[in-house]
Amino acid sequence: MHVEQLELTQFRNIPQLELTCPEELHLFVGPNAQGKTNILESLYVLAIGKSHRTRSHKELIRWEEPAARIRARVNREGRSHRLDIRLTPQGKKVSRNGVEQRRLSEYIGSLTAVLFAPEDLAIVKGSPQVRRRFLDMEIGQVSPSYVYHLTRYNKLILQRNTILKDISKNGKEQEMLLEVLDEQLIQSAVHLWIKRRGFVDVLTRWAQDIHSGITDGKEALSIHYQPSGEMDAGQEEEALQEQFRQTLQNLRKQEIQRGSTLVGPHRDDLRLAANGVDIHTYGSQGQQRTAALSLKLAEIELIHQETGTYPILLLDDVLSELDDSRKTHLLEAIRGKVQTFVTITGLEGIDQGTLDRARMYRVRQGTVTELR
Amino acid sequence: MNLPEPISKMIDGFMRLPGIGPKTAQRLAFFVLGMEEEDVIDLAKALVRAKRDLKRCQVCRNITDQEVCAVCRDKNRDDSIICVVQDPRDVIAMERTREYNGRYHVLHGAISPMEGIGPDELDIPDLLKRLEDETVKELILATNPNIEGEATAMYLQRLVKPFGIRVTRIAHGLPVGGDLEYADEVTLSKALEGRREL
Repeated sequence: MHVEQLELTQFRNIPQLELTCPEELHLFVGPNAQGKTNILESLYVLAIGKSHRTRSHKELIRWEEPAARIRARVNREGRSHRLDIRLTPQGKKVSRNGVEQRRLSEYIGSLTAVLFAPEDLAIVKGSPQVRRRFLDMEIGQVSPSYVYHLTRYNKLILQRNTILKDISKNGKEQEMLLEVLDEQLIQSAVHLWIKRRGFVDVLTRWAQDIHSGITDGKEALSIHYQPSGEMDAGQEEEALQEQFRQTLQNLRKQEIQRGSTLVGPHRDDLRLAANGVDIHTYGSQGQQRTAALSLKLAEIELIHQETGTYPILLLDDVLSELDDSRKTHLLEAIRGKVQTFVTITGLEGIDQGTLDRARMYRVRQGTVTELR
Repeated sequence: MNLPEPISKMIDGFMRLPGIGPKTAQRLAFFVLGMEEEDVIDLAKALVRAKRDLKRCQVCRNITDQEVCAVCRDKNRDDSIICVVQDPRDVIAMERTREYNGRYHVLHGAISPMEGIGPDELDIPDLLKRLEDETVKELILATNPNIEGEATAMYLQRLVKPFGIRVTRIAHGLPVGGDLEYADEVTLSKALEGRREL
């Protein structure tokens, strides 16, 4: 899959931009705060239907303009599609080949994209919450029922915690109601656990090969999915339900005391280890970056496996965060298969071969000019 | 410009209703000014009467202007089935089917601890009283298919277990007359879960 043409109108600080993108590699060069990331963001919005930087449409529209527009021609396995997103403060209109798509879920998948931004380095070194968000975002892209159960689960946690607090504060007997919420919670929790387990299994297979490649076989990456409460997410649905039910029973007193739900998918974590050593705690800065890079590259392969075509890759300011050998490896891993859009402040440290095959643009105050 | 007090009071009144903003409220108020006096009085009386005279049926808790509602008074209905719903509007919906000939029970809400609605806030004690003599053989739980409705149904199911009567839950899944391809994924997977042998 690749983008053949991109046209932006009044998007962020870019009044007007037309790009033809026959090449595989596109570099946007310029100092900070000029609009480089805005270009990648527009491609991300085109793929996912929403921005990774903001929840409000308004921010995507250029100051004092009534509307913004992103148009593109995307080639998927030799067939060209026109995608068009119009953003107004009231909302967005999405169309494919001139036909308006009422539901975003029907539009999504027209273009798939993987974004790698500096924040993603936090997948390894950040809090478990960052890793859970990573899981939720990725699985959500391919499974609507996951999104349904996730929303349901989060609401149930709030309902359940309200009761737990009520019991601990007012000493009101509500065992039957708690049991009912437990049953609802168990249903959704088990769905999430099984989906997460499956996703991590597939991701691991790809990430291990990639990681070994980046480190010249010196490091073996392992990913341990750690469902909270030591649930065994590999077992049959019913057995897992029973295990969770038992765990909730055993924790009853403690949960009432604390007034909150102590075990469940909202407390899951991923542990990454290199040669058996936990990277989160003991890994060097470089190891953490390599692991994050391996995960992202694995994601690309996973999307390829799920959809039959490679996504586009958006590298926002991460090349400068990687050392030369990792940089080279990254660029080699995607070469010849993944169309890539890169933002970078300077060209130092990029090898000549890469520069030769890339198309380069200078970005300054919202205007983009092609170099050479 | 400041509107005369009677009309601005009317506008404020309309704005308290759901789905009505300042512009609609103003439109309605000026429309009322143009109406025949007799019609206005009828409308005002209807509002007051509905508020004053309507109460909950002593048997099923549905809204009625008598002690016992029309459905509960109807001798031709089947006493052995009670359909439990969240809201009086659900009774109207069920009645439109013309398929159901049992009795109803209106809970006036669904369990949602976050909003301060627990089992005690619902009309459950009257339901239990109705189950005490042994006429009722089946309880149909027709609460909404969302988290709160499901919780309410599961709660009631556990609560009435000691009575030993049959408890059923209305099915959910595909709308009749709809196309499979237009159903959203979650509804479709629910329909798949609830499939039946032919």
